[in-house]
Amino acid sequence: MTWADLPALYPMLIPAATAVLLLLTLTVRRDARLAAGVAMAGFIAGLLALAASAAELSHPVTMLLTVDRFAVVFWGILLFAGLLVSVFAVGYFRTLREPREEFYLLWLLAVVGAMVMAASAHFAAFFLGLELLSVSLYVLIAYPRMQSRAVEAGVKYLILAGASSAFVLFGMALTYAATGTLTFAELFTHLTLFPGDVLLLGGVVMILVGVGFKLALVPFHFWTPDVYEGAPLPVTAAVATVSKGAAFALLTRLLLGVIQAQPGHSTLAVIFTLLALASMIVGNLLALAQGNLKRLLAYSSIANMGYALTAFIAGGDAARVAIPYFFAGYIVAVLAAFGVMTQLSTPEHELQEVEDYRGLAWRYPWSAALLTVALLSLAGIPLTAGFLGKFFVLTAGMAAGRWTLVVTLVLTSGLGLYYYLRVITALYQAPLEGEQPTPPPLHLPHRLSVLTGLALAVLAALLLLLGVYPSPVLHLLAWP
Amino acid sequence: MFSLLWLAPTLPLAGFLILATVGARLPRRVNTALGVGSVGLAALVSLLLAAAWAAAPPGAYTQTLWTWLHVGTFAPGITFYLDPLALVMLLVVTGVGFLIHVYAAWYMQDDPSIRRFFAYMNLFVAMMVVLVLADNLPLLYLGWEGVGLCSYLLIGFWYREPGNVKAAMKAFLITRIGDTALIIGLFLLFAQLGTVQIQALLAAAPGLTPAAATWAAALLLGGAVGKSAQLPLQTWLPDAMAGPTPVSALIHAATMVTAGVYLIARMHGIFTQAPGVMTAVAVIGAVTMLMAACSALAQRDLKRVLAYSTMSQVGMMFMALGVGAWTAAIFHFMTHAFFKALLFLGAGVVIHALGGEQDVTKMGGLRKTLPGVYWALLIGALSLAGFPFVTAGFYSKDAILYLSWTAARGAPWLWALGWFTAFLTAVYAFRMIFLVFHGPAVQAHPVRDARVSVPLGILAVLSVIGGFVLLPRVLGGFAPFAAFLRPVLPEPPQRDGGIFEVVLLAASAVASLGGIGVAYLLFARRRTTSPDAGLARFWRQGWGFDALYDRLVVHPYLWLAQECRHDVVDAFYHGLADVCLMLNGWLSALQNGRVRWYAGALVAGAVLLLALLVWR
Repeated sequence: MTWADLPALYPMLIPAATAVLLLLTLTVRRDARLAAGVAMAGFIAGLLALAASAAELSHPVTMLLTVDRFAVVFWGILLFAGLLVSVFAVGYFRTLREPREEFYLLWLLAVVGAMVMAASAHFAAFFLGLELLSVSLYVLIAYPRMQSRAVEAGVKYLILAGASSAFVLFGMALTYAATGTLTFAELFTHLTLFPGDVLLLGGVVMILVGVGFKLALVPFHFWTPDVYEGAPLPVTAAVATVSKGAAFALLTRLLLGVIQAQPGHSTLAVIFTLLALASMIVGNLLALAQGNLKRLLAYSSIANMGYALTAFIAGGDAARVAIPYFFAGYIVAVLAAFGVMTQLSTPEHELQEVEDYRGLAWRYPWSAALLTVALLSLAGIPLTAGFLGKFFVLTAGMAAGRWTLVVTLVLTSGLGLYYYLRVITALYQAPLEGEQPTPPPLHLPHRLSVLTGLALAVLAALLLLLGVYPSPVLHLLAWP
Repeated sequence: MFSLLWLAPTLPLAGFLILATVGARLPRRVNTALGVGSVGLAALVSLLLAAAWAAAPPGAYTQTLWTWLHVGTFAPGITFYLDPLALVMLLVVTGVGFLIHVYAAWYMQDDPSIRRFFAYMNLFVAMMVVLVLADNLPLLYLGWEGVGLCSYLLIGFWYREPGNVKAAMKAFLITRIGDTALIIGLFLLFAQLGTVQIQALLAAAPGLTPAAATWAAALLLGGAVGKSAQLPLQTWLPDAMAGPTPVSALIHAATMVTAGVYLIARMHGIFTQAPGVMTAVAVIGAVTMLMAACSALAQRDLKRVLAYSTMSQVGMMFMALGVGAWTAAIFHFMTHAFFKALLFLGAGVVIHALGGEQDVTKMGGLRKTLPGVYWALLIGALSLAGFPFVTAGFYSKDAILYLSWTAARGAPWLWALGWFTAFLTAVYAFRMIFLVFHGPAVQAHPVRDARVSVPLGILAVLSVIGGFVLLPRVLGGFAPFAAFLRPVLPEPPQRDGGIFEVVLLAASAVASLGGIGVAYLLFARRRTTSPDAGLARFWRQGWGFDALYDRLVVHPYLWLAQECRHDVVDAFYHGLADVCLMLNGWLSALQNGRVRWYAGALVAGAVLLLALLVWR
């Protein structure tokens, strides 16, 4: 590594340095607003620095990381999600009695970990990023530590993520035993030369268990609803966006080439197909009768990862567009949905049940409208980001002739429509008669901070823009 | 200059967005100014485009903003296409639209929901502009559905009256039948010709097999018939008068109901490949115009007279399209937009002055109280009646009547129907004038407002001079309008008129003057009121179509729906839902919250995948 390589890493180094800076600030002065401001400034500076990285495209920085367009696009998505989650956290944690400052510190570190994963070219970087992200998340999930549900969720995540990390480590060991190296490139070469090497394949499958855990692919999905439900809302948004985005970027980096190089019926392809099918079917089925909006979104995320996997399996140029586009749309929609929920909730009283949102449109028409658009986007209704994302995924699947996956995607999306629309109808129903019109937090004189309002407006604009005006993003994604 | 094209739809759309989002925080005056101003600016843009066109005609101008999707040959762009036909439509839509908006600022000034009103109206103008400027079928369809939506919203604008909501629903459902035909037609064209770009479609149209061309044209006709309120989908238009009067003027007279005419003229290359469908267009138009004219004669509600009149005049345009007289149809569209908007706006003032009274038999003698409106409505009625040589309506109607006989696809009986309709038109137009403005006077408030007099004045002038752009050959044959449109719309092959043209011209004049004379005898001298029985009642109720459709479609359908409530097909879907919920129950039971079990599942999953690996 030379000094010349440094600018390419700025988007990642700046948030990392901001974390250190924040730590120092906290020793001098504890102030939640200041901490949040510093964190946001870090994310914004990181986003601005992306322009510098984009100019220095496609070269390895040491053997650990590769900064190519794919990494830059995902970094952009991750930093954007990082910024918005910090904005949501400010409003959400305003009533928390315990210290709030460390939240931003941990969150900066988590995003840096995710960025390392998205750019990694080596198992060491991969594991470092994974653990940085996971360890930060353990604490973040249990952050309101006087609340048993948050602590329970944190401990569950700690135990299960720890177990999955063990799988990843063992997988890496097997891979090393088979190839004698830890770089992704060598793995690719070996797998192409010896497609039947069971030791190596075993290692890959073990790693897959860990990545599948992070992505909540069936059958590694069990933790998702419990953690989503127990974690404070901004952290749930983080788990749903940053953690999944990073894991999928890593998966793409590690195995997209392999899947493409191998014949369509290779063992790996079969394993991925099974995971995708199971995720789409089980995720959507589980969401059907769910009355808790957080759990519902957890199941929906399982299904969505199944959709993304369809594009991954299809491979080809179509997938190189479909995967980032789908993720951009998915993350914007999820952030919008959780954003609306966050601004109506506090750590002590979260609006979780679909019933809590009955008649929201009559009180907060804008929030209800944004939540509606976000859910429609997740359902894949035209003119929203989700439609085009799903459309590109389908195109990729059809181009590769993966008909089982394509048909399953379409059918299970039909199931999805049912539960999204169920929430939307609740938003516009009149409150039940004789009942308290809306639960307490909605009664509070609620004022949206300028920052939150701005963040929600940006999300709304993006949801529609990505749905009707894709060309600039597609241009950006033209992946060399 | 032409690069301004995108502003034409964007300005009204921006008006809509501003009114819909932040309008609630703005004062009413600002809202009104925004609603009127955005359309005014769009009209200005259109005029600039027209001026640029006059200076240096580019033939056609295409502006691609971006491509929405790209899959194989399916690449619908957000692309606008400006050619002479589109320019005429654009000028009428934004120009007449602007005048009606100015008038609406007066008409709606006391309405509490004026913001909602202007938001819908602006959205309508934006969608109508998209419709006429669309370069490809998906974009055209967006505009088509957009104007349908606005029509629905504005008919039911005063939604606290259940009748209005019913009328809105009726309009929406009936036009939807046509829209369904249209979209199937669009799919068919794409499947046959492999493109959605209209110009490419027209270029490739001669390659269609006769069967495909017939189907495509017939399906497009289905869409046009629904939107333009022609037989057999005409019943929604009279009820649509439930909306505010500016809406009736803009949407249900001047612009949206003529979208069907535009569609057929725009896609004429497809229709010329399907002679059978062309004949159907002519016959549908001819029958509709005659039946609607009879109904207009029997109406008592002032706005319903005008509604049936619109249906009848659009029928005349369809007849022109059916004989291949594309230019004559567009010419009549333009003059009709002028005088019918004028008539509706004038009628709105009359109704306003009488405190909401709409029954013409209870009106009379208003020419003293409302002299300005009297003159405006008189000019409108003269133009509608086709008063010879000085009104726009005379020339456009004569062009259609002439070609309905002499064009290669024309026939004497088409002309005869048209001639008789022209006669009836003159009768009902002057029945209205005599009943409303002459005879014993009724109490009314005078109306004086520049927002009324300026639009009425401009439209009155246009209703007179708008016809001097396409004169028949015997009167000099000064026809810049036809020359302007010729690159897009070919002239129909026709027999040589010669002296015959003079005869037909005279016959048109006779129809008009005779009709006015008959109206004078019946309604000015004697104030005949039609009885509430027999033929008059039958005509007043629109030839009994509502009752017929109730018997033929609505009741059987409701009966069938009742009967099918518990049938086998439903059982399948209920079964499917039950299976899904059962699976949901099983899977949910696995989510038991126990970490032991979750960790076990993790390991089991890993073992499963490894087993799969070893097995293969």
